Amino acid sequence: MKTRIALYAVGGSLILLGLRGIVTESEPRSWVVWFAGAVLLHDFVLVPAVLVIGVLTAWLPVACRTPVRAALIVAGALTLVASPMVLSTGQRPDNPSILPLSYGRSLVILLALVVAVTAIWLLRKRTQK
Amino acid sequence: MVRQPSVLGRFSSRLHDERTASWLGIWLGVSFGVAFLTGLISHFMQQPPDWLRWPSRPVNLYRVTQGLHVIGGLATIPLLLAKMWTVYPKLFQWPPLRSARHAVERGLIFLLVAAALFQMVTGLLNIAYWYAFPFFFTVAHYWTSYILIGALIIHVVNEWAKVQRTVMKRPEDGVDRRAFLFTVAAASGAVMLTTVGETFSPLARLAVLAPRRPGVGPARLPVNTSAVAAGVTTTARKPDWTLTVTGQVERELTFTMAELRALPQHTERLPISCVEGWSASGDWTGVRLRDLLRMAGVAADAQVRVESLQRGGPYRKSWVDPPHWRDPLTLLALDLNGAPLDLDHGSPCRLIAPNRPGVLQTKWLHTVVVA
Ligand code: HEM
Repeated sequence: MKTRIALYAVGGSLILLGLRGIVTESEPRSWVVWFAGAVLLHDFVLVPAVLVIGVLTAWLPVACRTPVRAALIVAGALTLVASPMVLSTGQRPDNPSILPLSYGRSLVILLALVVAVTAIWLLRKRTQK
Repeated sequence: MVRQPSVLGRFSSRLHDERTASWLGIWLGVSFGVAFLTGLISHFMQQPPDWLRWPSRPVNLYRVTQGLHVIGGLATIPLLLAKMWTVYPKLFQWPPLRSARHAVERGLIFLLVAAALFQMVTGLLNIAYWYAFPFFFTVAHYWTSYILIGALIIHVVNEWAKVQRTVMKRPEDGVDRRAFLFTVAAASGAVMLTTVGETFSPLARLAVLAPRRPGVGPARLPVNTSAVAAGVTTTARKPDWTLTVTGQVERELTFTMAELRALPQHTERLPISCVEGWSASGDWTGVRLRDLLRMAGVAADAQVRVESLQRGGPYRKSWVDPPHWRDPLTLLALDLNGAPLDLDHGSPCRLIAPNRPGVLQTKWLHTVVVA
């Protein structure tokens, strides 16, 4: 119980320290917008979209369901992480070494790879039966 | 019995359970711990308190810690999203608040989730050079990390018993968590494999999603601040450029480019290790900083400041503490990869030292001040 209380105290102090830093050194108004905004977008846009996809893929034949869902998870993660590079908003004319690649093309190739691996997985499942 | 609203019964996947949440939680705990530690290293390397002296060796220490921070951070994104999907039904628990204690608990969970998402989003946008937020990245990201770690400690204390209960025993419910966890790990792996080459150059060709590519840039080395961005395109090209060593010295010295080139030259292979996680090595040639300082006559524990032709900005000058300026690898470089420095790499002369973030490898030098 003592360690529990001590750890609560440590955690609480770190939270207060962080909040104090935001208020005194950062810009608390815009910070709050991003801080809470990220949760709202996640909870009420991203996850609902994932749930809809979950429902839709539930209509697939049982044998395909796991591979297709796995493919969607990997493809979704790659797309999400790639999105700021694909948009390449950060490119600037004075420095071509920033975002030097064609990220849209990279992403298309990666997604095609995911599809190919999934197709092989499905085919092997079928022939093993 | 607590009355359940119908929405809870609608989450049909049996993966929304304690055991899945526990495993993902353990992985997340480790990666947040690593991110916090490596983040603090980066912070205090750039703003060292008085009692702290960073060593100049191992040469690649900062390169590894910051690579771990950024690539590990990116790999954490799928883990975090998977974890929050797993526990999502709890968002709709009924009644929403059972007691004051429960309200505090949920408030802390909000802080944990918000801080975790905030770090991922701002970090990802920062390495993509997309400054979409009005606040200064480092300050907000730094302080938010304390909120995240504080809320995480409390969360771990609260959930520890559950984690032990579920992880220590073999489940007999026939739910296929393994496939799900493998998939999440595969997503993290795919993110890492397609980005880690921006700092681990043997895998550079795989880094198709990384914002940087070692080998791409003037003299095959990427650039962070260009001469145009720094506003030095005229001053750095002046033929009458000189380098001055001044301050607490026995003899003030001034060198033209020809005089610097007449001093003993050394070539060292050292990396630029950027705060944004990418890194790349080059063969730098120039004069050892320690040779210049000995010629000028300085105390062994002198603090040295190098200053750039840049007019302003936080990185116009940087401190070089004794471990770094005494290190024979620390050069005032004139050449990179066998040719005179490109303007964007800091021509006519730049600092290059081991185990130090790229922002502190000051470019377009004109003065060395001994304090
Ligand atoms: C996708 C995930 C993340 C990415 C891409 C990322 C990226 C970065 C970058 C690029 C920096 C260097 C800032 C600079 O000095 O200019 C940084 C610093 C830092 N990060 Fe992260 N980060 C991520 C997640 C996290 C997490 C989860 C934590 C906390 C647990 C964290 C804590 C820190 C801290 C404390 C610093 C030092 C800030 C300073 O220099 O003042 N980061 N991060």
